[in-house]
Amino acid sequence: MGVVVTGVGIVSALGVGVQSNIVSMREGRSGISAHPSILKTGNILPVGELRMTNDELHRLADIPVHKHLSRTALLGIIAAREALADAKAEPSKRIGLVSSTSVGGMDLTEGFFREFMKDDSAGRLRDVRMHDCGAITSAMAHYCGINAYTTTISTACSSAANAVMFGAKLIEHDVVDYVVAGGSDALSAFTLNGFKSLMILDRQACRPFDRSRAGLNLGEGAGYLVLQSDKNSASNYYCRLAGYANRNDAHHQTATSAGGEGAYLAMAEALKLANLSPREVSYINAHGTGTQNNDSAESAAFIRLFGENIPAFSSTKGFTGHTLAAAGGIEAAYSVLSVAKGFLYPNLNFSHPIEEFGLIPNSEFSEGNNIDCVLSNSFGFGGNCSSLVFVR
Amino acid sequence: MKCYIDSVVVDSRIPADDIRELIPDALLRRRMSRLLRTAVATAVSCVGGVENIASLDAIITATGWGCLTDSERFLRNMISEDEQLLNPTPFIQSTFNTVGGIIALMGKNHCYNMTYVNRSHSFEDALLDSMIRVADGSSRNLLVGAFDEQTQSQYRIMERMGVFRSQSPGEGSVFVRILSEKSQSSLAQLVRLDFPGNSLNETEVLERYASSSASLLLFNSYRDKGLFPTASAHSFARAVELIRRGESEVVVYNEYLGATPTVSVVQCVG
Repeated sequence: MGVVVTGVGIVSALGVGVQSNIVSMREGRSGISAHPSILKTGNILPVGELRMTNDELHRLADIPVHKHLSRTALLGIIAAREALADAKAEPSKRIGLVSSTSVGGMDLTEGFFREFMKDDSAGRLRDVRMHDCGAITSAMAHYCGINAYTTTISTACSSAANAVMFGAKLIEHDVVDYVVAGGSDALSAFTLNGFKSLMILDRQACRPFDRSRAGLNLGEGAGYLVLQSDKNSASNYYCRLAGYANRNDAHHQTATSAGGEGAYLAMAEALKLANLSPREVSYINAHGTGTQNNDSAESAAFIRLFGENIPAFSSTKGFTGHTLAAAGGIEAAYSVLSVAKGFLYPNLNFSHPIEEFGLIPNSEFSEGNNIDCVLSNSFGFGGNCSSLVFVR
Repeated sequence: MKCYIDSVVVDSRIPADDIRELIPDALLRRRMSRLLRTAVATAVSCVGGVENIASLDAIITATGWGCLTDSERFLRNMISEDEQLLNPTPFIQSTFNTVGGIIALMGKNHCYNMTYVNRSHSFEDALLDSMIRVADGSSRNLLVGAFDEQTQSQYRIMERMGVFRSQSPGEGSVFVRILSEKSQSSLAQLVRLDFPGNSLNETEVLERYASSSASLLLFNSYRDKGLFPTASAHSFARAVELIRRGESEVVVYNEYLGATPTVSVVQCVG
């Protein structure tokens, strides 16, 4: 039995919906702005922000504003609904949800805490009701017609790839008929300041895989796939999820080993599960955050796995920013469309390869390419490294 | 789908002095919050020492609230320091997969590493992942753990929400070693796990899940540990203990914190 992808949904700084994301990338238009305009913060740092307020997102999702949902939940609901509608999921079947987030309802908690710190009787309780990650999934399930098993995964920046992986297991083991799998994360002052304190935010637009790269830009969004068994789905699916792997770098809590051990193991094992050799990979949607550490380690892992024959690769984070727990979902959706429609995505802001590796990412948007196999990488804090393999 | 429980450790059984031995790296230990120290020590104790981490082929953790102390510390600093010159350590340690990551790091173990953060289902979701991995041969030697901490702010907020009018607060860590095969050290076997979509009463639970009239029911015994998202992991630990003391089957049913129930069925190893 195989797992197939029958629906995709994306919200990112490039816009709401798959179409607006692809159009932006085709036109080479980045979603990164010079500073946040919706997020309340004193930091003037570039971010990939969706230029819609929470009230606007409630209205877009046709949810009364007084329901006061966390931004993370709203982004997730909008993307998951798109994926479900795309898959034409039958409501009489078991529809499960595996969602991931790293900030949960922190966007609302921040406001609460400013009041609560002064007086522990102050702050509106409705602002902490959705603090925990499970609350986001629960709200999504409620507003997306989920009627079967749901769970929440949080493994930092690899979260959504792990959600897709566990979603596939639920299909393989007949726990559900459909599973909506992916992740959602809103921008928050908490994460923006967190990455700033680690000194890995670029003050300019991020430059993944470039010699001059100086860090990442934080982003927000949500990306979900609908997975089904090939026994139960119509024949017009996008592609197959042929392999997946989750391995740990076991090197440092936040930094990646120089040789990219975890990245190498995840890619190699995902391909092994898919019964494919590295030669058969057509395109890699890299993790490519734009930090010194990640892009070096990922390049080293590419060279170790592919040798001289590095497939076309790019990081799409120059368009979206690093959307943390959503990244693996948004990028899995891009990867699915790459296989289904032959898209190759550009790596923005690249000019000079990293001397040590000499790798040059794909620089132009193109379509109609013959793409048989795409690898999607997501790595995170805690050493978590995950890779997904999509094939025609 | 079934798997074997080889070891269960509850944090309250670890003397404070032993933590130094279980987490030998003094620098790491000093940086850790109380929750991290307790959860990691419980995990290491469960596998019988740091040297045994390397043999695991899956590390699966579960937490409903995550590392609240570190999250709160970073949030407070961010607000009081007006977003300037913040110490990154509490931010790093606020990540939900911190415990799983530290265990992997201590044992230099590159295996499957996953974290479930799903309210009062977190631990049972981790168990489901384990059972699936055992069933399809992905893993044979797994460490599954659950942890949540109580903080002053979290207590105050939940008190204001009225949660503690009928229940008392709690916290704790539990780690379980799961093997795919029966061994001399098997304490019990997990034979069934279910997520019924709606509430059941005691009679219904027994009718649906008990294999004989000798079956014992732990019905909402999460209450014994107080209210926190992974309190049900402590019910599970108790079920294994009851099997070890001679019961043949224990059915564990928990439903709390507004989520649908979870059921696990633990049996003696025949």
